[in-house]
Parts: sequence; structure tokens; C-alpha cells
Amino acid sequence: MNKGVWSKQKVILVSGALLLAIIFPLVAPYVALASEILIFALFAMAFDLTLGYAGMLSFGHAAFFGLGAYTAGIILKNLYPSVPLALLGGVIASSLAGFIIGFLTVRRRGIYFTMVTLAFAQMFYFIAFKWTSLTGGDDGLQRVPRPSLGPLDLKSQIVFYYFLLFSVIICAIVLLRIVNSPFGKTLQAQRENRNRAMSIGYNVDRFKLRAFILSAFFSGLAGGFYTLLLNFVPLNSLHWTNSGEVVVMTITGGMGTLFGPMLGAVCIILLRDIISNFTESWTFIMGILFMAAVLGFRGGIIGILRNKLKLSI
Amino acid sequence: MNIQFVVMQLFNGLILGSIYVILSLGLTIIFGMLGIINFAHGAFYMFGAFVAYTIVAYLIPNFWVALIVGPIAMAVFGAACEAFLLRRLYNLPPLYVMLFTFGLMLVLQDFIRMVFGAAGVPFKTPTSLDGSINLGFMFYPKYRIFLIVITSICSLGVWLFLSKTKLGAIIRAGTDNSTMVDALGINISRIFTFVFGMGIGLAGLAGVLAAPLQNVSHLMGVDFLVDCFVVVVVGGMGSISGSIVGGLIVGEIIAFGVMVWPPMAHTLIYIFMAAFLLIRPRGLFGREAFHE
Repeated sequence: MNKGVWSKQKVILVSGALLLAIIFPLVAPYVALASEILIFALFAMAFDLTLGYAGMLSFGHAAFFGLGAYTAGIILKNLYPSVPLALLGGVIASSLAGFIIGFLTVRRRGIYFTMVTLAFAQMFYFIAFKWTSLTGGDDGLQRVPRPSLGPLDLKSQIVFYYFLLFSVIICAIVLLRIVNSPFGKTLQAQRENRNRAMSIGYNVDRFKLRAFILSAFFSGLAGGFYTLLLNFVPLNSLHWTNSGEVVVMTITGGMGTLFGPMLGAVCIILLRDIISNFTESWTFIMGILFMAAVLGFRGGIIGILRNKLKLSI
Repeated sequence: MNIQFVVMQLFNGLILGSIYVILSLGLTIIFGMLGIINFAHGAFYMFGAFVAYTIVAYLIPNFWVALIVGPIAMAVFGAACEAFLLRRLYNLPPLYVMLFTFGLMLVLQDFIRMVFGAAGVPFKTPTSLDGSINLGFMFYPKYRIFLIVITSICSLGVWLFLSKTKLGAIIRAGTDNSTMVDALGINISRIFTFVFGMGIGLAGLAGVLAAPLQNVSHLMGVDFLVDCFVVVVVGGMGSISGSIVGGLIVGEIIAFGVMVWPPMAHTLIYIFMAAFLLIRPRGLFGREAFHE
């Protein structure tokens, strides 16, 4: 991807996607669904930083998402009802957790890394599950207010959607800058050939740790938004199956592309919403779809777009 | 806290630990052989419990039949999953296989929810093992004693099988380098099917054995699986003895946690794992550069 000049096709695609995002809440079945899609798109992009760019399969990102969500919720409910403060608290908590978990795990490679991140995330789940006085336990953190942000009345779903859209676009630009920076290139270099990157003189583990923390940061932000959207934090946001979902979104979309995971999140959440209208057993159908996706197409949605439609994204 | 309660808890830890051992053994041999985490392992465990429930409640009301048939049925089911589905994915990065097992987990769980409902069903302790036994210093449920015996036999059996038989030697060799084993004229894909079937059979066995201890429900395996990850990480990935020792340690830690501060009992194992990783990054018996 060149920094300076964008191809004509790319300009059309990006502006088309933007336009779609702007009119989406008007055509979506309900506005909250559109907002949920944006939140998970952000979560999936954040996750792609570790999986797609740093090449580490974490199964513990629910911890960062959930921690961001819970911290934001607790601040809004018990401390002071301010959106920026809540989001800030959320990202600080998740980044800190990212640092601690990352510090303990980045040197582990491959499957070991996956298992250890998963186990650590589960620890947060159990803490939230048992610390009922603070988190509401199994019922989740109920009745979290969603205060206004200056002149923006976030209580209106549609205003909240555009606030979210604006924030997610900023995050996407920042993430794009990160992956195209020398830092991002180094991450990709060590993903492709760890020994070579080390022999050039890069401290590979330090780069991976930074990527992990950045990813935790954006995941926590997505979590904070999630709290604002639902006015409630479900305990499930911390559960490891939530980590599994973001892995699935990233891979269905096409990892290592940032836009792919975004598309994956859009498709999966839309699909889930549609299927759950028809049948209670949507998990069953989603499971079959995941399996079929793995058996069938592996380049992800972005791979299909690239190969079949010859798009340069 | 009286001494009887402490001994009782230590025994309970042993029970929990032995279920962990059986489940982790399957997880670790599949991991060693195929280089993947089987995310569906907890779901297979749960499925085994429901197979037993179906047998006892609808077909033959005899726990012993379920104890034999359940694991065998699960082993066949597992082998079929490997032969017809997973096999197609081996030329891909392990990531995809894991994702596949994740999908499989969702499907199995939701299937059971559709058939048996979300609330779960009660599972009775077999009548011949009902009641308690006097151990001299305390009374302890017969069924739990039986559990300790049978899981010890199984762990020993698996260990003997893998370390003393020819097939076990092939499996261990395949764990180290499956391409080389294949090149030496051994049909490695058949071994893969066998190993996967065996792992799932063990998961099914753990499910049947754990069923009388609780209500069986479609979610009984989800969080239990993660505990087993802790076992495998502590014990060392791909190590049989690691699973056995790790399983017992984790079981006892939870039992200890229940004595000291019940809400933190589960969190304790993760803290333990974190501390342990700092001291021994590859677990108790983990090897360097093994599937890393």
C-alpha cells in the first residue's frame, strides 16, 4: 500500500464504503444493530493488529474488550457520568492488562501463546463473575447511564451512531498509520521471518509486546463503546467465546488487511441478526457456517474480492 | 477449620483433578500429534455425558453399560470427525484447524441445547455406588472413591499404552515428526484418526464419569475446557506425565481455594499459572521448540 497516491479504484471503494456507513442506520433493521456492527468492526481491526500483522493468535482479547466495557461502565455508574472519562478509564485498564498479559506471554510462541492468553482472559471472567458487588456478577452491570457529550445528545440512537462512526473512522486511520509505519513493517517482518528480523537487530519481543498493548488499547475502546451502546455490560463480553468470535470475524474477513476484519464483523453480525430472526438455534447455524468457511474459502471475504472481482484492496 | 474438612477437601480436589487428568490427556495427545488445540474438546466431554444420559434414561437403565458404550461411541464419533472433516485441513496453518474445532464446539453445544433444553438434566448416581463408605476417619461417597480408582487405572493405562506398546511408540514418534514416520512406511493418517478418536474417547469417558457429580447441561464443557488449558500449560504441552501431575495440582488448588476463600477458588489457578510461567515457561515437562 503506497502512502501518497491512492489508486482511483481505492478512492471509489473508500468513499463508497463511507457513504454506505453514513446511510446504513437508515436502512438497517434498527440503529443499535448498525452501532453494534461498528463496535465489532473496531474490535476486529484492533485484533487484526495482533493476529494479522504481528502473527500472534490471541484467544484472550475478550479480556481487553470486557475490561474496557466494565471499567467504562463502573466509571459511568459509580464515579462520574462522563463519556470521555469512561472511555479513557476503559482504555487505560485494557492497555494495562495488555501490558501485564503481554509481558507474561509474548515470548511464548504459536499455540502456547494462544492457550496462555485464553487462560488469562478467563481469569478476568471469573473475577467479574464472582465480584458481584462491583460487577453485578452473572446479571452483568445493569443500568449504566449514557450521558450527553457536550452538545451531542448521545441518548438518541442515531446521534450515538454518528458519534461512533466518527470515532471508528479516526481509529481506523490511526490503525492504518500504525500498520504502514516502520513499526508496522517491522511487525510484519518478524511475522514472516522471526530469525531474520532478530539478526537485523530488532528486539522482536518488544515489538510484539507493543503491538499487543496497542491492540488491547483499541479493544478496550471498543468495549467502552459497547457499554455506552447497551447501557449495560453483559458478563459474556469477558467470556472466551467472545474472543473466539473476534477471531472468526477477523479470519472470515481476511486477516492482515484491517479492512477485511471490518467486513468480517459486518457480515457476521448482520448474518447473526438475520438468522436469529428465524430460529432460536442460530449458534448452530453460525457454527456450521464457520466450519464451511474454513473448509471452503480461506482467503476470507477480502480474498474473494481480490481474486474474483480483481479489486486492489 | 477442622482436620476432617481439610482431608475431605483434599479428596474432592483429587476427584476434580482426576477428571481434569482424563480430559487433559486427550487434549495433550491431540495437541502433540496434530499440533492443534481442540476447542471442541469440552463440547465432546459434554456430549459424552449426554450420550450416557440418553443410554441410562431411555435405552438401558444401567450406568455400567453407559460407562462402556459412551466413551466408545465418542471415540468412533471423534475418529469420524477426523477422517471426514479435519483431515482436509492439515495442509493449512493450524489456525484454521482450531477455528474449525471452534465451529464444531458451537454446533455440538447448540445441538444438545436443541434436543435436551438449556436447563440441563439431572443425572443419578448409579445405585450400586450410592451412599458413603467409612474410611475410618470420615465418611466419603462411594462414587467418588470409584472415580479415583477408575481414573488412576485409565491414566496408568494410557501412559503404559503410549510408552510400552509398538503403536504407542509410533504415536510418540509421530508427535515428534509425523512426516518422517510417514516416510518410514507407516500410514500416518490412520494413526492421526486413531489418536483423535482416542482423545475424544477419553473426553467422552470424562464426561460420563463427571455426569453423576452434577446436572448435565450443554454448557458444562465450555469453562471446564479452559481449566484443562491451565492443566496443559502447567504440565507442559504434549506431555503425558505433565497432564497427570498438572491435573492433580490444579484440582487440589481449586479445592484449597474453596477452603480458604470460595469466590476466588477458580481465579487462583490462573494466578498460579501466571506465577508458574515465570519460573518454568514451558511448564513442568514441556520440551523446547515443541510446536512453537
